[in-house]
Amino acid sequence: MSAQKPRVLVIDDEPQIHRFLAPALEAAGYEPLRADTAAEGLAMIAKRPPDAVILDLGLPDMDGKQALVRARVFYEGPIIILSARDMEIEKIDALDLGADDYVEKPFGVGELLARLRVAARNRLSSVGAAPIVEAGALRIDLIQRLVTREGEGVKLSPREYELLARLVEGRGRVLTHQQLLTAVWGPAHAADVQYLRVFVGHLRQKLEPDPSSPRHIVTESGVGYRFIND
Amino acid sequence: MTHDEPIRPDPDALLAHARGQGRGRLKVYLGMAPGVGKTFEMLSAGGRRKREGEDVVVGVVETHGRRETEDLLEGLEVLPRRPVEYRGRQLLEFDLDSALARKPGLLLVDEYAHSNAPGSRHPKRWQDVEELLAAGIDVWTTLNVQHLESLVDVVWKVTGVRVRETVPDSALSAADEIELADLTPAELRERLHAGKVYVPETARLASDNFFKPENLTALREMALRRAAQTVDDQMVGAMRRQGIEGPWAAGERILVLIAGDGTAGALVRAGRRLADLMKDAPWTVAHVERPNRPTGDARSARRIAEAFKAAEQLGATTVVLTGDDVPTAVLAFAGRNNVTQIVMGKSPDSLWRVVTGRSLDYALLRRSGGAALHFVGPGAPDADSAEPASAKGRKAGDGVGYLGAVTLVAAMSGLAALLDRYTTGADLGMIFLASVLIAGLAWGLRPALLAATAAIACYNFFFLEPRFTFVIGHATDILTFAIFIAVAGATGWLTGRVRDQARLSSRRASAVTALLAASRRLSAAATLQDAAQALAEQASAAAAGRSVVLLPKAEDLILAASAPAAVALTTADMTAARWAWDKREAAGAGTGTLPQIGWTFRPLIGVRGRAGVAGVEVDPRGGLDEERLVAALLDQGAVALERAELAAATVENEALRRSDKLRAALLNSISHDLRTPLSTVMGAATTLIDYDPTLKPETRADLLVSIREEAERLNRYVGDLLDMTRLEGGALTTRTEWTDVRDVLAGAIRRVERRLGHRAVVRDFPAELSAAPLDQSLLEQAVVNILENAIEYSPDGLPIEVAVYEDRANVVISIEDEGPGIPKVDIERVFERFRRLEEPSDRAPKDRKGAGLGLSIAKGFVEAMGGRIAAASPIHGARGTRILISLRKAPPAPMPAESP
Repeated sequence: MSAQKPRVLVIDDEPQIHRFLAPALEAAGYEPLRADTAAEGLAMIAKRPPDAVILDLGLPDMDGKQALVRARVFYEGPIIILSARDMEIEKIDALDLGADDYVEKPFGVGELLARLRVAARNRLSSVGAAPIVEAGALRIDLIQRLVTREGEGVKLSPREYELLARLVEGRGRVLTHQQLLTAVWGPAHAADVQYLRVFVGHLRQKLEPDPSSPRHIVTESGVGYRFIND
Repeated sequence: MTHDEPIRPDPDALLAHARGQGRGRLKVYLGMAPGVGKTFEMLSAGGRRKREGEDVVVGVVETHGRRETEDLLEGLEVLPRRPVEYRGRQLLEFDLDSALARKPGLLLVDEYAHSNAPGSRHPKRWQDVEELLAAGIDVWTTLNVQHLESLVDVVWKVTGVRVRETVPDSALSAADEIELADLTPAELRERLHAGKVYVPETARLASDNFFKPENLTALREMALRRAAQTVDDQMVGAMRRQGIEGPWAAGERILVLIAGDGTAGALVRAGRRLADLMKDAPWTVAHVERPNRPTGDARSARRIAEAFKAAEQLGATTVVLTGDDVPTAVLAFAGRNNVTQIVMGKSPDSLWRVVTGRSLDYALLRRSGGAALHFVGPGAPDADSAEPASAKGRKAGDGVGYLGAVTLVAAMSGLAALLDRYTTGADLGMIFLASVLIAGLAWGLRPALLAATAAIACYNFFFLEPRFTFVIGHATDILTFAIFIAVAGATGWLTGRVRDQARLSSRRASAVTALLAASRRLSAAATLQDAAQALAEQASAAAAGRSVVLLPKAEDLILAASAPAAVALTTADMTAARWAWDKREAAGAGTGTLPQIGWTFRPLIGVRGRAGVAGVEVDPRGGLDEERLVAALLDQGAVALERAELAAATVENEALRRSDKLRAALLNSISHDLRTPLSTVMGAATTLIDYDPTLKPETRADLLVSIREEAERLNRYVGDLLDMTRLEGGALTTRTEWTDVRDVLAGAIRRVERRLGHRAVVRDFPAELSAAPLDQSLLEQAVVNILENAIEYSPDGLPIEVAVYEDRANVVISIEDEGPGIPKVDIERVFERFRRLEEPSDRAPKDRKGAGLGLSIAKGFVEAMGGRIAAASPIHGARGTRILISLRKAPPAPMPAESP
């Protein structure tokens, strides 16, 4: 990483959002960039790609998802979506279209910055990096395909392991149902959400200290699952 | 039916039975002749029922002054008769409406075959009875067998009396029970001689003939057979209902062929008798139309139409067959429909047709295969079968041709005389032949034949040796003459045929064109009213008479359209129209219901049910074609009306959908408008919490200000929502005080001061202003909303002008901004709720917050105080918006003023 501060582009039409995000980002060590419309934001990304983008889905000049698709054509960095809680479909669509994560309005700055960090880390670490992930008493060795809980081996079926591996690789990030199903069961089963429910249930039984209130494999209602290891 | 499969109840029989459920039961006392004691028996039995405690009422009974009958009426309730004026005489008729209103359990109605006085609802009493049964009232009635429609011919043949009061056979078949009132002919004659039988004066002449023992025997046999047959029918019906296999002749099908002559009615009745004998075999009445020989005159077309109507009443289906060759068309139909019996008239065929094998009788005899043929001789002539008037018309039409033929031959004779000296006699024949040919081509068969005769005469007289005599000199001349006749025949016939075909096809074409035009107009009609009007106009054009369309509205029919405009309907017309609507059958002229009015009303029945009623004024000259055209039109019209109705419903749905959309947009907007300030508050607060030490002082101050501002915005928005809810829920109470409007305006301006930015508020207040009775806080909120709207919609730096002035009755507040103004199309809607939601993008201009509630709340508040609010834009050239609030100085009437 360069000594330069990472640049974060905020694309939002609400001036009030910029008003508090700019000082917050600055205080957290980023360099905030401001765009009020999608067109403006896309132009800025094209000119000089920022290190991360925070994109509001409700923009006046363009549908947020459309802006996302256009940005993804030439931008590979992390994109975090700002959206309202009642817009599930929008969030899922955005994630499936290539957004890294989302934050629901109203949000605390800490939450947004945490998501930003996870996304940035996931983008930087390509496959193979960080082969061993620890989460509480769990230790997952992605190279040897070994899962231990408090030092003892946990027996997982191949599918269960595959599912866990995908979640762990994207740890900290939300993975949509469709993304998980496509990765583990193949595109033909992209809509079979009940598979996920069953297998996530199995994983929680085997891995979670209290399966009824999971700490590691967290449900994002209506959207997908997120693996949390801190 | 194969025998190994279980025998199921016959669905038709079940259906017919089901149709009878809920109806009253009909019992008919059937007799062979007057005087057998039908009424007596009916009244005795009725009296017994009454004594057993049943609700028995006498609707109408003719006692003919007989004591023994009158005695039976003792103790029975008798409905009063309805007086009817007819040709200066007062008739006492059965009162159908009071019978329906009284609704007894059992009603006794004498003389089933009675014809009602003109002006009654139904022309016949059996139709009254039908309505009573439909209303669930049991009816007993009496009937003499000679009144049965299918027996009219037989009775005429046997007794020489043509019965005019008839009852369709179906009306007797509808009886649940038939009781035969029987006497031997000898006993009846005894009663007759003893004066115990009432015979109307008018019938006395015929009576001696009528009551002859052999006639009575024949009539008695008919009555007995009828009664037996009905019992048989009922048994068969019951068996079929229960799925009992029986010997009923399945597969007997009867085809009755009718032509446009006077025998059509007799043939139809013969068909009915045959159908009865074959246990109600299905029967069809057909007329064959030949494309090269149109039905011709309107009279025979009407006869066929009437015969069809009668046939349908008697339970037949009707069909018009088309074909050049009648036997082929008939046999094709018979083959397709498994016809086993063909009924036809004995036609006086020409020897020519018999010899060439083109006689219908002969052709059918030869080719009918398995079908039995029944030939019916001319029966009682149909009531109206006088010499067709149109035959005369045809002759008159040919008159021109005859005159032309004679003139032509005369001219040719002159020409021949001129050429006589240059040529021989044989060549002159060609000149005459030419005249025959021309006459044939120009005027058809008969004039051609006349021309041929005249030509032969002239040619022979003037030019053939011996001249100036009609003596034929050479045998070869006879051949010449024969050729003349043959040429006349051939050309005349061909020309006639071509002409007839052209006329027929042009008539068909015009009918098709009319239908097409109607279909186009009907499908173009967007609203119910348009469709009704289009239908009325097309029907009027097709029927060559006036036409109306009535549509249902609030349980009644209203006149929706007429052609020509402004047709008035009488009460009787409306009654017929309602009848057509209620009963789903035609009423008025040419039908069994209210036939005396000039209109025929038909229900418009579309795919989903009744759409309305169409009335067409009957043109008595109209033929079958016109009727069919009108009927086809009305079918189209019904569908078009239905479609228009559906379209209206769609518009309604659209409105609903729009309001749903609005609600969704409202939710969306609330979500956005509440969450954005909340995000700011939360984001700024968390920034302060997490990064306080690293923040510059001015940043900290700015974050804190933004928290306050956004909290205020949130508060305003919640306030708006609450105000709206109060207005919507009717929970708004006003507290009226005498107020100086200037104070309220100053307060409102103070409230928006901080949001003004660099916009100056220019005040234009008079030094003196009358006080007005109003609710201060409501007015202040209204003004604040208007000011906020002005701030939102006008660029920073431009002034906002607030003025107040008064006229005689009102204090007027004017608030102007210099923003871009409101487009003309939207000016009407600025005060609508959530107007902004319907803008292309609900977040279109930046910095415009709120769901657009402000102005609608202002309007609600102003109006709650009895004031008025209006918007004008643009006001300064192409820019600017002015909102005017007008408040009355006197307290509004419904609100008592409080002391100042």
